[in-house]
Amino acid sequence: MNLCALAIAIPLLSAPFLGTLGDKFQGAIVNLVLNVLVFVITLGVFAAPGSGLVHADSLGIIFGVLTSFIGLTTAISNLAFVRRGNEQLSLRRWRIYHAMCQVVLGSTLLGLYADNIGLLWVAVESATIALTLGVSLSRTALSLEAAWKYFILGGVGIALALFGTMLVYLAAQPALGPGLNAMSFATLTQHAPQLDGQLLTLAFVFLLFGYGTKAALVPLHGWLPDAYAEGPLPLTTMLSTLSLNVALLAILRFRHLMQANHDGGGGALQPGIFLLTLGLSSLILTAFSMTRRRDARRFFGFSSIEHSGLVAFAFGVGGSAAIFGGLLHMLVHTLTKTALFQALSRAAALRGSAAPGGFGFSHLRGMMGTNKYVGWMLAACIFALTGLPPSGLFVSEFIIISQTIQRVPLASLPLGFGLLLCAIAIIRTLGPLIFGPSPPHNRHRKAGRDLNLVAAQLGLGFLIAFAMPFLLLHALSTIAAGLQ
Amino acid sequence: MNLIYPLTHLMGGIMLLCAFSLLSQRRLSAMITLYQVQALTLAAAAFWQGFAQSDTELYLTGLITLAIKGLLLPMGLRQIVQRFNLVRSVETALPVGLSMILGVGLIGVAVLVVLPTTLNAISLTREDLAISLSILLLGFLVMTTRRNALAHVIGFLSSENGLVLAATGMPGMPFVAELSVALLVLLAFLVVGVFLLRIREHFDTLDLSGIEDIERQGR
Repeated sequence: MNLCALAIAIPLLSAPFLGTLGDKFQGAIVNLVLNVLVFVITLGVFAAPGSGLVHADSLGIIFGVLTSFIGLTTAISNLAFVRRGNEQLSLRRWRIYHAMCQVVLGSTLLGLYADNIGLLWVAVESATIALTLGVSLSRTALSLEAAWKYFILGGVGIALALFGTMLVYLAAQPALGPGLNAMSFATLTQHAPQLDGQLLTLAFVFLLFGYGTKAALVPLHGWLPDAYAEGPLPLTTMLSTLSLNVALLAILRFRHLMQANHDGGGGALQPGIFLLTLGLSSLILTAFSMTRRRDARRFFGFSSIEHSGLVAFAFGVGGSAAIFGGLLHMLVHTLTKTALFQALSRAAALRGSAAPGGFGFSHLRGMMGTNKYVGWMLAACIFALTGLPPSGLFVSEFIIISQTIQRVPLASLPLGFGLLLCAIAIIRTLGPLIFGPSPPHNRHRKAGRDLNLVAAQLGLGFLIAFAMPFLLLHALSTIAAGLQ
Repeated sequence: MNLIYPLTHLMGGIMLLCAFSLLSQRRLSAMITLYQVQALTLAAAAFWQGFAQSDTELYLTGLITLAIKGLLLPMGLRQIVQRFNLVRSVETALPVGLSMILGVGLIGVAVLVVLPTTLNAISLTREDLAISLSILLLGFLVMTTRRNALAHVIGFLSSENGLVLAATGMPGMPFVAELSVALLVLLAFLVVGVFLLRIREHFDTLDLSGIEDIERQGR
């Protein structure tokens, strides 16, 4: 029995039922149950990674567990989101919403477990469709705009990625011949030096721009802030973490193909320079854009662009240590960002509205005056995003910076500059948002229990960075050494 | 006489010509007709490749293309044009002459990029690839030079035709039918999206110049 296929099939097959049956509370509970089930199965994948078209390599195992864990915590906080029910949605839209949560989960897992470049593409494409439906859920003019932007830009990215996928297949023809072998990551990696280097370079450019759109690397990031600000918050959380991760891992795998081809004398260019450029431009542009945002979700959307760019930069630096740093950064950032969005949702709910309009900084300011626990949790999450110690992101950023100084010294100065500017932009919001004066008519309110979940995720991110369990350390270093 | 080369090239050429003419058209109904001709040619090309490579999966691709892209999608698009009364010409962001010059430039780029890098591949695949990359880029150009949601969709549909043409030309590529179905789902969502979400309600016309609303509000 292939557990990977099971983990993918359960959410995808249950989506039509969620989309047609039950009221919103039943939908939320079934959504939670399904997520628990998928989480257990992805844990089981450790024991039985399977084989064939859909199977988990070590990268797939680790990020599969992370994905289903984030899915699980999102489903738990989704219960509160549904109970508040601030958004005036009809029953049919709640059903679509829950169905789309499952489709996103299933297709993200497919993207992680697929050992086939065509299947990977299908996974990214179906996640895009599901998230478009999710973003347009509230049907306001702004959300339709955001969804349309996401769909058109995402569609163009997907088209480019498919063209790149076909070029990789063509590049593999001399070594592997027609058939499934020429589309499998495992065999492609094995025969990387024999691939057609020039075609592979061309393919990589298309793939980088295609999957780079999904990973929101600057100049392809236009859809992200709008989509973050307008979608329902639990789906935004999945968008900001899971779908970025899939795209970044796809870039990492193709980068490895190209690097291995280059090292083996196949004639491909060094992939590093492309990734370094996109990564640095993401970092620097975000640093300047962040200072001007007035909406919290838009602001932290830009922060996702920053971290996605930093990971791409780390992959561009190359070498096992930098890739280790990039993967660690992805793990910790996913946990931190999820925690942040959940805390933010709680905070906005305390101020009356968790609808997309309720996240202005002016609306949320002075959180300490409303609830101390929420205020401190929010402060901790935001501070963690800066990458200053004791945040978990400090460790990964430290690794990336030290590797940059060692391997690409010229890029280290702009990197430090960008990171510093981003940290300053984030710290500047921290004071007014948490400790500033509260808006008038503010009164003290009780926080819900789901804040403990935020603390748990934040703690887990801290633990992974500073006291990484030996097994994870071993697995991550092996992956990084294999993909350098 | 071997017909594989001339016929494949003929069909690729017709598709490229349609993509190029899309640039010059100001009327939506004419754009839809051009798209339909392009999709029908694509179906014929898929059938022909299926015959040449004796691959049943390509026949399936051709059949799907014929039924959905060649007939159903254009019908849906015409419905939208009638329902929203979009008979008048569409505003372009660039003068038509300039966009056609840009189009010629893009075709040149596609040829210059593809032909030198694919020296080892079979020559039929090379030329097919250059044509499909040109169609892809021209579709994107149509999307950037129009200010109308439906024209964006048509440009996108045209570039997807280029992608499927490339896929059918790949020697023995698995999953061609599956990939084209996955693409179709995306396209269907686009068209249905315009239809159901009734962007018109919010933007008054299908004109997307109001899309900077968010920026203006300073959020």
